[in-house]
This record gives sequence, C-alpha cells and structure tokens, in this order.
Amino acid sequence: MEKVLLKKALPQWVKKLESYTIYSPQEEGDFWNYEVIKNAEIIDLDYLNTVLSPKKIIFPQREVLFEFSTSNEDELKVKEILPEERPAVIFGVRPCDGKALTLTDKVFGGDFKDPYYWKRRNSTTLVGLTCNTPPSSNCFCLSVDGSPHSKEGLDILMTDLGDKYYAESFTKKGDELLNSAKALFKSPTAKDKKDLEKIKAESKKKIKRQIKATEKIPAKLKDMFASPFWDDESLSCIRCGICTYLCPTCHCFDMNDEVTSSSPIKGERVRTWDNCQFPDFTMHSSGHNPRPDKASRLRQRILHKFQYFVELYKNYQCIGCGRCISKCPVGIDIIEVLEKARDYGS
Amino acid sequence: MDHNTYIPKLAKIIEIKEEVGGARPIKTFRTQFLNVNDFSFRSGQCAMLSVFGRGESMISISSSPLMKDYLQFSILKMGRVTSSLHEMQVGDVIGIRGPYGNSFPVEDWKGKNIIFIGGGIGLAPIWSVLNTALGKKGDYRDLMLIYGARTSKDLVFKEELEELKKKMPVHLSIDVEEPEWKEFVGFVPQNVTDKNPSPKNAIAVTCGPPIMIKFVIKALEELGFKDEQIYTTVENKMKCGIGKCGRCNIGFHYVCKDGPVYSWAELKKLPQEY
Repeated sequence: MEKVLLKKALPQWVKKLESYTIYSPQEEGDFWNYEVIKNAEIIDLDYLNTVLSPKKIIFPQREVLFEFSTSNEDELKVKEILPEERPAVIFGVRPCDGKALTLTDKVFGGDFKDPYYWKRRNSTTLVGLTCNTPPSSNCFCLSVDGSPHSKEGLDILMTDLGDKYYAESFTKKGDELLNSAKALFKSPTAKDKKDLEKIKAESKKKIKRQIKATEKIPAKLKDMFASPFWDDESLSCIRCGICTYLCPTCHCFDMNDEVTSSSPIKGERVRTWDNCQFPDFTMHSSGHNPRPDKASRLRQRILHKFQYFVELYKNYQCIGCGRCISKCPVGIDIIEVLEKARDYGS
Repeated sequence: MDHNTYIPKLAKIIEIKEEVGGARPIKTFRTQFLNVNDFSFRSGQCAMLSVFGRGESMISISSSPLMKDYLQFSILKMGRVTSSLHEMQVGDVIGIRGPYGNSFPVEDWKGKNIIFIGGGIGLAPIWSVLNTALGKKGDYRDLMLIYGARTSKDLVFKEELEELKKKMPVHLSIDVEEPEWKEFVGFVPQNVTDKNPSPKNAIAVTCGPPIMIKFVIKALEELGFKDEQIYTTVENKMKCGIGKCGRCNIGFHYVCKDGPVYSWAELKKLPQEY
C-alpha cells in the first residue's frame, strides 16, 4: 500500500493511534532517544539518529524474566513475567536499525524461541524513515548489504518529500496503521512517485564511507584467528564496551537474581545486556578465561560480526550505522579494522 | 507462545553425598522434580541448576537416562552458585531447566570397545554415558575405565568404583605416592599409555581438566587412535543455555547448544579458544 501524508497532519495520525503505545525519537539534552510519546503534537521526525536503536524497546536493557518467592507455607513459587500485550508503534526508525531487528530475529528465533523478545517484536509496528541525508558521517550501510531506504524489518517506510511524507506499507501491520486514519492519507500522484525515486537515488550517493570488497572479508578473517593483527588493533582499547552497548545487532545478555528479601527468599531473575568486551564475560569460576585479553575480545567482536554470523546465517551482523565508530573514545574504527584485515599480509 | 525455557522447574534434593572434602570439595546431589516427570535427556547433556536468589550454573547430568527416578549432579564447589549448592540440605528446593546441548553418540558406538578416561570431577559426565553403556552391555564389546585424581581423597564415586570393578576393568591412579595405594601412581595420560588400550574397533571418551585432556589425546594418538575415535566434552561460562547470550561460543559453535560433546576431529576444526 502506498499513500502520502501532509507533514502537518502527522500529529493527527498519531492521535488516531490511541490503542497503541507510541514511541518516537525525542531530544534529551545532547541526544535523541526513543521514548513513549506523551503528546502527539510533539512528534518530530526532523532528527539525525538516536543514540540507542529501537532494539532497546524490543530487547530492553533490563527486564524481569520471572519472580520467585517463598510463601508462609515454606513453598517456593516461580511466576513468569511476560511483557504486556499492548501493541506498540515505533516512529522514525532508520532503515539500518529496522534491518538490525531482522538479524536479532535470527538469534532470538531458531530452536528455542525467546518468548520475551517475540512478544514485543510481534506486537510492535515499525515505521521507518528514509535517510534523505546520512544521519551520521560514519554511515556505511551500502557496504553491508543495506541501503538508506531499505525496507527490511520495517512495516512502513516514510520518505520526506518536503511538505509531505510518502508512506509505503509492506505488511499487514503497516496497512492497519495507514487504514486507521484513512481521511488523512491521499493516493500518491505521478509527481510524488517521481520525487520519491529521485530522493531514494540521491540518498545513496550521499553516503561517504564504505568498506571495499566486504565479501572478501569473512574468508580472510577465518585465516587470521591466530594473527598478531588483533594485538595491534586492540592496543588502544580501554574495554569500555560502548561499541557493543550501542550496537543495534549485539544481543549478548547476562542473567542474574536480584533479591528483595532474603528470609523468606523473594526476588526476580533479571536479564540485562552484557558485553563481550568485558573480561569477566567469559571468565570461568576457576579463573580460566578463554578470552583473556583485549586482543581476543576485539577479535571476538569482529569475527562474530563478519565471520561467525555469516557462517551461521549468511548475513553480516552489522548494519553500517556507524555508532561504534562515532562513540568509541579511542577512535577504533570498524571500517579501518576490516579494511586492514582484508589487506593484511598481501 | 512456545514453551518458556527460561523458567526453571522445581526439584527437591533427595540425597546429598560428600564425595571429596578439603579445599576443593565435591558433593553429589540427587534430585526429584516436584511436578514434572517428562524430563528426558541423553548422556552428555547438561542442565541449568538454579539456587533462587543466587543464580544459575550449568552442570552435566551424571546419572544415566536409564535411571528414571532421579537426576544426579556431582558438583565441585567453585563459584557463587556451586558454593550455595554445597550449603543446601536434603529437602531443599532448587530449579532445573534443560536438558541442553548434544550428547555422546552412543548409538553409533554399538559393537565397539569403549575406553572411558577421566580426571577429577571429569568423571561426572563420563559416569552417565558409562552407565548407559553398562546398562546395555550387549550393545557394546569391552568397556574399560581409566580414572585418576590428585590424591586418593580426590577420587569421586569411591564406593561405586569398587562395585564397578566387578563388572568391568577399572584402572585408577593418583598423582603422587601414598602408603596404602596399590594402583598406578602418575598422571592419567601416563596411565593411558601404561594400560595400552587397542585402538582397534574402539572409541575413547575423555573428560577432565583441559591440561589432562590435551595429554590424554596425545597419548591416545601415540597408541594409534584416530581423531574420529576420540570424544571429549568442552565447558565454557554459560548463562542462557540456548545459544543466545553469546559467551560460550567457540567460533560459530555455541557449546551450550552445539556441544558440549565433540569428537577430536570436530574440535580440531574450531578456533583454539576454550
């Protein structure tokens, strides 16, 4: 389904979606981040990109999996805590961040479907926004099979045509959203379609950074496991973990018990994001650590994204958003690391 | 919605046996589910044990699947959760989820000789598959156990090993001499060389400390065992048990899901990161 919506009518559309929880990018000091929108009038899609991707809504940084308690009869009880049923809409999703969810879908799917992830994923409608101009100077989506107008993972893609949005719906969930405010949407004119194609074509040309010959990298990395390359590349790393913390495709997590009462025992099992750049991520209780240094941990991050994930799922586990490059305090640049690896020893 | 594998099933501890005392104590726990009796597993698989309020730890199941009345775990006191388990009493309730991981391919081993080689707590995963083979003795040819620990006090399943000697050859060892010790003195790999099992129509299964496994494999290779005839188990830190939390991987393999059992031929193909 394809429709156009006048920009000034956007808040009216949001108002119609009262049965949904609405998330949109909101300015918080120096940053933009996804938050629940309290007033439809404040919706503002004139932003670059959020610090954290919408992953944080589908797979929150902290969530309770179940509660445990001992009753008066000394009987232990475990109560499953699943996310609430209420459907949600996320506005202004950058196409790369939408694609990232198709990658986390693979991890949280498979033989053991993760009920917490899928409950949110299935009840959430993603409204994307074409990147007319790159949201970051470190964008490189074109090098990892992405595009500034990719529809992967999105239900709707909106493209800014100046005074209106061109809305393309790809799914039933997307159609439902457009149908919820029929009076606001018009059919696109021939000029609208022409403008859309022009903006999409130009959007690709504006992306400055790229990895050349990405397809050669997985096989090359496979031969570099024992290389001293990783020592050199990880020298400056201060293991802060911001690269994976901000990554829309990273999915590693920890599970711990948070206790509110020790006698009788009462508490929650909590899942939180974890980070492969931290030393204790893989450390055994004996003290043995299969990834004992910065080199092995940087190698894990790069190989997971550009070798292991490709071996498992045929996709790079990277969407080219550039967050890990822009926010790294010591300037480790995944594009440079990959290009150096590709050319290493030749 | 699919079954929620993160929710542990409650089980009561019905028996606790102190195997090893001292600074590195080992206890064997037998557990019975409070409500579930559909828990089925294969030898080599693990279960995630919960001490509510302390957390979870992945432990190999040391009982045989042929034993339906209880699940058995032999646990070395090591970190937060295993230390809490060591403080628990008969009647206390823990959580169990799983089973997770692959298993020893015992069906493929029918008609073969099997040599089990263990060190220390490494006898626990072997114990399950050994008892499975023993319970279906007609399916296999000659069985042999080579097992050692630092001292005679560090050997697990001491009484059971005496019983086992009536059913199959059991070769024990300790690292350094003790006055009453009549069996082999030396490291487990040396005992393997000493007992000289034939590689002909044979499978070797080895579990124990990584350094022991390394030299056992070397000893087996010198005896003529091929990579495909040698099986071992790998352990890594785990949280989810289902290949999602991201820490137990060796290359693209998640040990919790794709392991813990590997042939030496399979393990050799993976990066050396365990």
